[in-house]
Amino acid sequence: MVRPQKAVASFDSATGMLRALSRFLHDRDVPLLGQAPGVLEPVAAAIAGAAARLPRAAKEKAYAVSGWAEAVPLRRVPEIRAEELARWVSGHYPPGPYPVAFVGSSNGALVHLAAALRAPWLPQTLLLPVRRRGVGPDDPRGDLRATRAAGEALLAANPELVLHHMHDANQDRLMIAGMTYFRVKWRRLPEAYRRFLEESLPAGATLVVPECGLSWPVTRVGPRYVFQHGALGGATREEYEHGGPRVAGYLSRYGAGRERWDYPPADGESPEAEWGFEPELLADLEELAARNGWRLARMRFDEPEDLSPVVADLYRSWYRRRGLPADRLLVECFLLLEPWWALRSGSVPYWMVFNAGQSHARAMDYLDGADPFDEIRLMLFSHGVESVGLAGVADWRRLLERARKVGVFTGVDTSTYPRDFAGLIRAHRELSRIRTTYPMPLPLEWEAAEEFLGKREELDWSG
Amino acid sequence: MPLESLVRTALGMRVAVWRSHGPGPAVVCLHGAGVSSRELLPFVRAMGVTHDAWSLDLPGFGRSEKPRAPLTLTALADAVAGWVAESGLQRPCLLGGSFGCQVAVDVAARHPGAAGALVLVGPTVDARARNPARLVGQWLRNSVRESPRMLPLNAADYLDAGPRQVLASFGISMRDRIEDKLPHVAVPALVVRGGKDRMVSQAWAEEVTRLLPRGRLVVMDGLPHMVPYKDPRGLAREVGAFLEAAW
Repeated sequence: MVRPQKAVASFDSATGMLRALSRFLHDRDVPLLGQAPGVLEPVAAAIAGAAARLPRAAKEKAYAVSGWAEAVPLRRVPEIRAEELARWVSGHYPPGPYPVAFVGSSNGALVHLAAALRAPWLPQTLLLPVRRRGVGPDDPRGDLRATRAAGEALLAANPELVLHHMHDANQDRLMIAGMTYFRVKWRRLPEAYRRFLEESLPAGATLVVPECGLSWPVTRVGPRYVFQHGALGGATREEYEHGGPRVAGYLSRYGAGRERWDYPPADGESPEAEWGFEPELLADLEELAARNGWRLARMRFDEPEDLSPVVADLYRSWYRRRGLPADRLLVECFLLLEPWWALRSGSVPYWMVFNAGQSHARAMDYLDGADPFDEIRLMLFSHGVESVGLAGVADWRRLLERARKVGVFTGVDTSTYPRDFAGLIRAHRELSRIRTTYPMPLPLEWEAAEEFLGKREELDWSG
Repeated sequence: MPLESLVRTALGMRVAVWRSHGPGPAVVCLHGAGVSSRELLPFVRAMGVTHDAWSLDLPGFGRSEKPRAPLTLTALADAVAGWVAESGLQRPCLLGGSFGCQVAVDVAARHPGAAGALVLVGPTVDARARNPARLVGQWLRNSVRESPRMLPLNAADYLDAGPRQVLASFGISMRDRIEDKLPHVAVPALVVRGGKDRMVSQAWAEEVTRLLPRGRLVVMDGLPHMVPYKDPRGLAREVGAFLEAAW
């Protein structure tokens, strides 16, 4: 059997969010993305800093190899067991009781909502990276051909899973050079999740299902198997499928010898692999809630970042109620999350799904509509690629200029971004050095939060 | 354009001054501990393209008159305020480099009419690092990134001032509790930090900005402590943009 911590990608959103939130509930911050003890941070920062001075090709190789080393060998994929994965996930959290718990879509803003409430979140989706050879990143058909049998074997062994085989040659270029992305979603509630919830939620508690409605074009491979063309970020759905000048420019920059990708034709839409919610799971959750005397609340939104301004505003109003300045903003990106330091530094968290132009535009929109902030800190995830739609350093500087006093990158080396891999370590280090800090507050009351959230038009509540 | 060299009198002492007479409002530069205007002259030239740029040697340093005993920080600030009054400049922008920031802040806090704006480039001394051993360590870590051409300038400055003055200025710099005065600076203030400055941490630069009622921070990537020497044009651009917004 493959151990769950070996099967699951540590560089992924779901894992990063699980680590950030579970460490928060253990009263811990997130040095080294929660993957190693904090005392190693200075050493790791020094090593990563030295690696940052390597030539570009060597750096890209090192990044790709670091991902590959985490991936599961193709032949071992059928040994992965969903129930083991679920036990590993729920084992991260301290025992309850909790007045509220979340089960569903991954979302960085949701992690901050859960942290404010001191509540756990169980992800519906996990990423299982799988090693494969002999397929270039720009060959989606080749990728599907090489790994399809492993995907089918995984599903045969795990009837509770849906497989979203994902291929993003734009943003995951370095990572998918030697591996493929199997994103799995639970369509039935795993036993470990059920047990954790029953042990942690008293009668009268609320079970909230965050449901991101984002869907994406896919090719159906089997009843529980879809192949997803690209992903949310810099390039559009049309660009993944049909190419265009930006794609041609990108492929030429990377010497791909082609002008567009050759995805198998899309024959439908499906919940997006990383963020979208698979509604089949709802039946089990409803049944479980009814049996235990919990209220089930569905929190629906269209896109991942719909939740970001809502949670940012919730934090701001909470800080004001507590008599804090509420003039500090922490803009986070992808899996770079710091719920503990956000609260200790009195920062309003605003989460961006990735480092691409559309996240930049939405963050600017948020700043347009919000009272000005004195301080803005920005953490940026570096994925190593000059990808289609990437927002550059100059764009991010424009965002930071919105701060009245201090607008700074946190952990970003602007001269090496987006190949700034040491930034993952540096971000926490720099954040933890903010001087003006506040005591950790008592948890936000769920009733107050729900009333606030219920009034927001970005969210559709029921139950 | 050659620099104009002038000698004026302030509080009974001769003060040596350099000027590059550009069209814009006046910017008066104050140098760091133990040194003199020498290391600021490249910046004065660059700033002088657009502004009326000045740099003065504080009493006891460079070519200015040496008082019998080293002046206190308060006396240095009074001398600067006196010089501003006698030179006929109307509320100029005071730009400090390193220890010069401490002088500029003291002027702004205690002589409210003397300065119209402040620029603090690499403000010393971090309230949590006020210990000589730590400062020396930080200075050594920073020095590898400074321009080697600055060394002979610094050596000449130290010889001009003499060891007593130099040590006294470091002592003054260390004892000054700048954090108590920053909240009393009413004018717009720009804080500039070199991204690789090991003497002024990012956290301290942010703290300084936060304490200034009208402060704003700019981090110039890749530069060490002596931003005015390493990138005079870049700094002049930042100061120009700041003054345009402030005035």
